[in-house]
Amino acid sequence: MSRSTAIEAGLGPAAAEQSAAAGPLRARRWRSPRLRKKTELTILLAPGLILFVGFVFVPIVIAAYYSFYNWSGYGPLNDFIGFRNYSYAFKDPAFIQAIEHTLDLTVASVVIQGPLAIGIALLLNRKFFGRGFLRTVVFAPYVLPPAVTGVMWSLILQPGGFADQVLKAFGLGGLVQLWLANVHIVLFTVFVVLTWQYLGFGIVLLLAGLQNIPNELKQAAAIDGAGPWQVTRRITLPLLAPTIRIWGFITVIGSLQIFDVVWILTQGGPANASGTISTYMVLEGVDSTDFGFASAIAVILFAFCFVFALIYQRFALRRDTQGALTRAVG
Amino acid sequence: MRSSRALAAVALAVTTATAAAACSSGSSSSTPSAATGGGASSSSSSGTTAKVTLTWWNNATNQPLLGVYQAAIKGFEAAHPNITITNVPIQNELLQDTKIPLALEGSNPPNIYQQWGGGVLGQQVTSGKVDNITADVSSWIGTISGASGWQANGQQYGVPVDLHVVGFWYRKDIFKKVGITVPTTLAQLESDDAKLRAAGYAPIAVGSKDRWPDAFWWEYFALRDCPQSTVTAAIKSESFGASCFGTASTDLAAFLKTNPFQTGFLGTSSQQGAGSSAGMVASGKAAMELQGDWDPSVMQGVSTNKNLSSELGWFPFPQTPGSAGSQTAVLGGGDGYSCTGSQQQAQACAEFLEYLDSPSVQAQIVGPGASGEPVLTSESSAITLPATQTAAAYFKTASYEELYFDTALPTKPGQNLDTAIADYFSSPSSSTAAAIANSPSTP
Amino acid sequence: MAAITQYSAPGSTAGRLALRRWTVIPATYLAAIVAVGLTVVPLLFVVVDGFRTNGDINSSPAGLPHPWVGGNYTAILKSASFWEFLGNSALIATVATTMTLVLGSMAALALSQYDFRGREFFYTVFVSGLLFPIGVGALPLYLLLQRLGLLDNQFGVALPEAAFALPITMIILRPFLRAIPGELQDAALVDGATRFRYFLQILIPLAKPALITVGLLAFVTSWNQYLLPLLVLQTSSHFTLPLGTYTFQTQYSQNDAGIMAFTAMAMLPALAVFMFAQRYLVAGAAGAVKG
Repeated sequence: MSRSTAIEAGLGPAAAEQSAAAGPLRARRWRSPRLRKKTELTILLAPGLILFVGFVFVPIVIAAYYSFYNWSGYGPLNDFIGFRNYSYAFKDPAFIQAIEHTLDLTVASVVIQGPLAIGIALLLNRKFFGRGFLRTVVFAPYVLPPAVTGVMWSLILQPGGFADQVLKAFGLGGLVQLWLANVHIVLFTVFVVLTWQYLGFGIVLLLAGLQNIPNELKQAAAIDGAGPWQVTRRITLPLLAPTIRIWGFITVIGSLQIFDVVWILTQGGPANASGTISTYMVLEGVDSTDFGFASAIAVILFAFCFVFALIYQRFALRRDTQGALTRAVG
Repeated sequence: MRSSRALAAVALAVTTATAAAACSSGSSSSTPSAATGGGASSSSSSGTTAKVTLTWWNNATNQPLLGVYQAAIKGFEAAHPNITITNVPIQNELLQDTKIPLALEGSNPPNIYQQWGGGVLGQQVTSGKVDNITADVSSWIGTISGASGWQANGQQYGVPVDLHVVGFWYRKDIFKKVGITVPTTLAQLESDDAKLRAAGYAPIAVGSKDRWPDAFWWEYFALRDCPQSTVTAAIKSESFGASCFGTASTDLAAFLKTNPFQTGFLGTSSQQGAGSSAGMVASGKAAMELQGDWDPSVMQGVSTNKNLSSELGWFPFPQTPGSAGSQTAVLGGGDGYSCTGSQQQAQACAEFLEYLDSPSVQAQIVGPGASGEPVLTSESSAITLPATQTAAAYFKTASYEELYFDTALPTKPGQNLDTAIADYFSSPSSSTAAAIANSPSTP
Repeated sequence: MAAITQYSAPGSTAGRLALRRWTVIPATYLAAIVAVGLTVVPLLFVVVDGFRTNGDINSSPAGLPHPWVGGNYTAILKSASFWEFLGNSALIATVATTMTLVLGSMAALALSQYDFRGREFFYTVFVSGLLFPIGVGALPLYLLLQRLGLLDNQFGVALPEAAFALPITMIILRPFLRAIPGELQDAALVDGATRFRYFLQILIPLAKPALITVGLLAFVTSWNQYLLPLLVLQTSSHFTLPLGTYTFQTQYSQNDAGIMAFTAMAMLPALAVFMFAQRYLVAGAAGAVKG
């Protein structure tokens, strides 16, 4: 049962199901399997669900409710304005710009950080001396609070600061720019800092995914004459694909909501050149004590994320659920 | 299936229960409740003197002001044994943007909390939690200056404790080295700038990243170009459509063309750390900065320059002869406190504020505390920094003081104005100028 | 070299080996060094700047400490509040992480091992929590916590943190649990185990890499969380480390050197946890499947 099962499991639950076509054996000990199942389900699901609904879902729904009011956050909610907050947002060029920037950052995050993270994760999956240390180092930026990342990079990126000095030392002085003050470059600068902060997270996630790929598969392929690149391309990467898809989902959602680092670095400036949806929300809503407006922006952001999640769920993640569905114990 | 339905029912029950709880808690009154978490306040009459406990939220997280406030508490409690005050210093931005708005919406706001008056205070008053202390302070409020900035609807809702004025902080040693004198007109300032730049200095530092330093510039041009009545009316109506404001924008644009600021000024912060505009003046990379009188404190924190206090000087915003506004108006503000809580707590709070505005404490606040100018003008002599003394002296001779616009206006219009001005700094044009004019009224 | 022996196929030519040894392998290691350099240098910046004074940082932003000042670090180590903050952070992070792992894996088990109508609905409910920025929910959350009497209480921080960590936990855990083949459960049941025993003794251990990842994420997120503690905690003796950073920021300025030193110290525990846990991010799973 062992090796062939492992290979089948690795290559697709559907194949595994075929091998078990004889039908699942059900232990005949339980009186009412359905009642048993329902109880188990409730015990397992209820606590987390209650915690989540209470502390996350309900505040969100209430906040969304605020979005239909003109409300400063002080005093009673008594100025109902329907969708006016929403229509104003979409008429504001600064908001449209913020959406553009956010989408730019999101796409760049997936397209650039993805291959980087995969490559480094593959590297760090091999056994070599100092691997544990290297993994810690790579993960360390993620451990740094985003606010401190912002402070630190502000220091590094100021005119004549560390970044400029390093470039000059390597003879690349001609590349020196006003990293944070040049409205044409600032978004790019922000992206570099974001990559620095969040790449480690992706690497660790992908490393976890790599653990699920049995070594025997790779060794079998190697014995059959495949070179390392072929092994990577034909076996490792496809098996890593579900994890990559999860990483993609989390990265997109995270990028759509990005706030802390951008805020500290630039506050969305100069002149809104690096504004994201979240910085716009804080600038125009929270800091302007216009909670109703802030809530409306948050709902819009939520809608973006939700639509993306639905589409992603349908097309990208569906393949991961298909096979498993048939194997779940009914 | 039944199991999922049961779960859904549970979820729904929890949802409605917590929603009901969360919704209803927002409408509590300001009567004191038993101590729950912070902001604890309780009062009970025990015989003749009622014991009162107050919490005090301020932004004096560090020395020297922290020590001044702690000593003030001790002195006050000694004179009023039935009143106890708990000092809760909180970092400034957290205090203003997060803690106070939340607390005023909750059921247990702090009894004494810091705010800067103007339209922002007016908004806070709408929460219903801020106490009207007109009666409690009527006996002494006339002795201090600036109190009108802490009124709403003609009633006193807060009291200032120190005042600030915005002007130019400059390096006397650099001026001497380059051979220039303090400018009195705008033209002189521009020619001084040219000489400074030729000598390798950034003439003027500005922390444009924070937006409000930019606003100081535009607002001063507005004060010079617009008569006082126009300014007051514009702030009240929350619209800067009057033509003199357009003139202010144009004048500012002309000034920006003379390249007065440091490289990359759009990304420089005003106070945060080493590369800020304050830091640049402190380290001698820039020669001057248009800022409030807190600037010396900021500079102390980011500099090893021990001679700073003797090297720093002050001069007012230059005059623009021939323009429609006042040539000696100043932009300024102050720190103040408001009271929440029961009648008894409000009374105790007002007594404490009176104590903070008394001569000895005022001398401490502006002397060792280095916090601007006193509201009790008799104590200006306690100011230790020579540059600040110059500022205080000029302050007395100013034709009028205007509260910084983003505080005079309610928060949203004020923030919109700051943002519009910052955009203008980035690209001065007729459209960005128009944006300034319209900014306060955008919903 | 390990990289070669793992895949060396019998019969590969010496030429192919040589090519790999002299170009591909060094290239990858060079890339690794560059990557590590880019990662590490800014971090070293934080640590080294902790040894400077603010004036020093101001006059030469990129230089080495001149002089080396240990005062920032020693002041922190000596201050009682730092250790208080550390203790609070550790308590809250541990509680939040434990709750996340326990409740999250339970819920993930429910949503991956059982087939029932409404399953995807509940999964979507969880995932939707990820899609909303937390800052805006702050006000209703604050009022709710006040109502529940959880203000100024470490649990008032840990519980919402666990709740907010659940969406990402579900997103990572459920696919992992699903990928484990169903025959294992059948085999276990045939051998007389209850389903729960199968979960506890077989399934969960198999999902260790995913659980470690989720635990690490929850721990680090809780460790760096500042909004929730800011809302909930009132007395300074209850504060967590990120709030402590703000004691270096006054109304007007910022003690950069102090912040750097403080941050460097605050990072250490989280990094230590990671260094310890990543050891388990290995292919322990493969053995079980082999049977």
